[in-house]
Amino acid sequence: MQGVRVVELTKVWAGPYVGKLLAFLGAEVIRVESEGSLDVTRFYGVDDINNAPGFQSVNPEKLSVQIDMKSEEGIALLLDLLRESDLVVENLRPGAIERLGLGYEVVSAVNPAIVYVSMGMYGSAGPLSYQTGYAPCFAALGGLSALVGFEGEAPGGMNVRYADSTFGTLAAYGAMVALYHARRTGRGQFVDVSAVESMSTMVADAILDHSLNGVVRGCDGNRHEGMAPHGSYPCHGGEWISIAVSSDSAWTALTACMDREDLTQYRDLASRKAVEPALDEALAAWTEERDAGELVALLQSRGVAAGRCQDSLQLVADAQLWGDGFYREVCDGAGRSKATTGPGWRMSGAAEIARGAPALGEHNDYVLGDILGLSRERQAQLREQGVTR
Amino acid sequence: MGSQEHDKPAALGQLRVLELAEDVAGEYCGKLLADFGAEIIKLERPGSGSPTRRLGPFAPGGSDPEHSGLFAYLNTNKHSLEVDLCSDEGRALLASLLGRVDAVIDDHAGGWLEQLGLDPATCEAQYPGLVLCRITPFGPEPPPERAHAEDLTVFQASGWGYHTPSGSTEDQPPLKGAGRFLPSFESGVEAALCLVAALCGREGDSAGRSIEVSRQAVMASRADYVLAQMVAGDMPVSSDRHAFDLFGPSGIFPCREGFIYIWMSAPAHWEGLRQLLGSPDWMADFPENWLERACTPERVALCRARLAEWLLGQDKNEAAAAAQELGVTLVPVNDPGDLLASPQYQYRGFFAEVEHPVQGRALYPTVPYLLSETPARIARPAPLLGQHDAGLLAALQGSGENRDGGAA
Repeated sequence: MQGVRVVELTKVWAGPYVGKLLAFLGAEVIRVESEGSLDVTRFYGVDDINNAPGFQSVNPEKLSVQIDMKSEEGIALLLDLLRESDLVVENLRPGAIERLGLGYEVVSAVNPAIVYVSMGMYGSAGPLSYQTGYAPCFAALGGLSALVGFEGEAPGGMNVRYADSTFGTLAAYGAMVALYHARRTGRGQFVDVSAVESMSTMVADAILDHSLNGVVRGCDGNRHEGMAPHGSYPCHGGEWISIAVSSDSAWTALTACMDREDLTQYRDLASRKAVEPALDEALAAWTEERDAGELVALLQSRGVAAGRCQDSLQLVADAQLWGDGFYREVCDGAGRSKATTGPGWRMSGAAEIARGAPALGEHNDYVLGDILGLSRERQAQLREQGVTR
Repeated sequence: MGSQEHDKPAALGQLRVLELAEDVAGEYCGKLLADFGAEIIKLERPGSGSPTRRLGPFAPGGSDPEHSGLFAYLNTNKHSLEVDLCSDEGRALLASLLGRVDAVIDDHAGGWLEQLGLDPATCEAQYPGLVLCRITPFGPEPPPERAHAEDLTVFQASGWGYHTPSGSTEDQPPLKGAGRFLPSFESGVEAALCLVAALCGREGDSAGRSIEVSRQAVMASRADYVLAQMVAGDMPVSSDRHAFDLFGPSGIFPCREGFIYIWMSAPAHWEGLRQLLGSPDWMADFPENWLERACTPERVALCRARLAEWLLGQDKNEAAAAAQELGVTLVPVNDPGDLLASPQYQYRGFFAEVEHPVQGRALYPTVPYLLSETPARIARPAPLLGQHDAGLLAALQGSGENRDGGAA
């Protein structure tokens, strides 16, 4: 992605996640921030907007320019920047970007090659596009939450943090395809992404079952129609392990570990499905007093898919995530070094990920001077007028 | 989709991709490219085909490999070639294909590609310009305690499982998340993103790439907002089941028919709720800013109890419409029937009718991104097993040129 310039007009998590993925892939990503309407993650629970952990989580490897988007001069500057950019992504409230005078018509008139990515709960147009919500609303509306919960109970939904980053990834993919097209043809386009539909695609097989057979699936705990047993089981000291028996031979191996020859009679999936609750109970009774790590090692050595249900402490201590470079150090412009999370991939010839999130307006000089070619005098003038800071 | 959409160019129409993948993650990745026009050549095992042909949901009328709705969904727009990769002819065909494609998608465990002689280093040397993308549960060389994996164990290793659902109690088992394949679908998107990025980069420097996508790392990266803070030491870590949670009264509640989700975190939500409920007495005892400044367990419990009483009598769609007018983020918990009936989904054309030669007509969910100039579309249903054997082989023999300009 070297040489690709991305401008972000985004807030909170989903929009910034698009820029984060593109930055990790090597694009130059510039967050345009306006002191009058800062991203709330810059000040959630902290005094220093330039050292806000939530903001830093989603904005490493980016640049920040501060431009007052409430002023005509600010919008003119922004359009100048968009003329020099390959992609712009926005996830402001419905209609807000048009009110700023930065709708697709305006921007594409200035730069017909630009890829313009608009992100909304329901997308940019349509009868419900005026509605707004947060991540768990996307999951509820998209048909995902209804599938998550304990059997026979009200849905619990995924963890409340789920949805923004998934929405962002799907937007990033749509954007990437449009960029590919723009690179080959010089033609930009409008990419209109729906958070709710993003959620639906993550449970497409359940939706398809309704299309094909009229089946409405509900909460099924840890059940899986193709595997049994399939679930989480308690271990010593309050730990849990997950076990997925995905073949008949895995079941035979598991019963041998349990020393329960009587259970080998359930040799195929159908027979195990018929008594699944009883098998779950037998498994839980076996795991309950045992050490999670030892159980996982034993089951894996016999070819059974099993693993810890990792709590947050185990997750940040995960040796493989450190060893593979998923956890890594970044250093911000103030020289502060910090561990953070990387992407889900490793790639040969990958872009470097070394910089922390930017301070507000940290890259004004670069954007206004180097990219827009404004003289020092002009920059000083804009600063005095309050257009930039 | 109208005929106008069909006249638009395919963004990835120039690309040819070899799909060695046989599981949900890799097949979904291939589909994401195929729906933008990439030519996907899918190699299938003679006789039985891809293992996903044995997975449901099945279309009415059978549970044979041609009735798998899951396979049909995951493989729209692709070509199927029956190839036995254990045979000499199969290997020769594979080698010939590798010289003619832009990218390869694989999702077998580490070692499988290597057995075919396709380890990333060899690939790079023999097929310069080729983009090789592999999706595995825990990377190509997992530690022994992660050698055997399924989406369940991946999800539980990523931290999501232990914290799903929000608000669960210590004695309830951590859940698998939504549906059967969430980590696979997530990783399929990630892989497609990386593939197109690499192909985009190749336009500039003509260099191939090898890409390794780890399903665990993908899921962990989706939690970045909390996990990056945790690993930086800015947020506490523990064995608390609620370590990812946000506190407050938000949650799912039963209503007249089905369920409603309500989110409340700011004074504006509280004020909107007051109007929606007609200023009930119980709300008067709460400070105006309690959601932000005084969110005690007692208040949360009382608020949830009173909300639950009121919501029980409400219709989910009517309540949502009234709430949205007042700035209250209250939404219905939808099921697939609701999605099919949604005027918004209809407006955006989220469901596409696909006619499959064996399964007949069905509405497929499509994609959440609408590209104005190069929309994704389903031009062809998934292939029958080996459907393109004859035509593809003839075409391949006819075009000797390597995609990257070299001799095949």
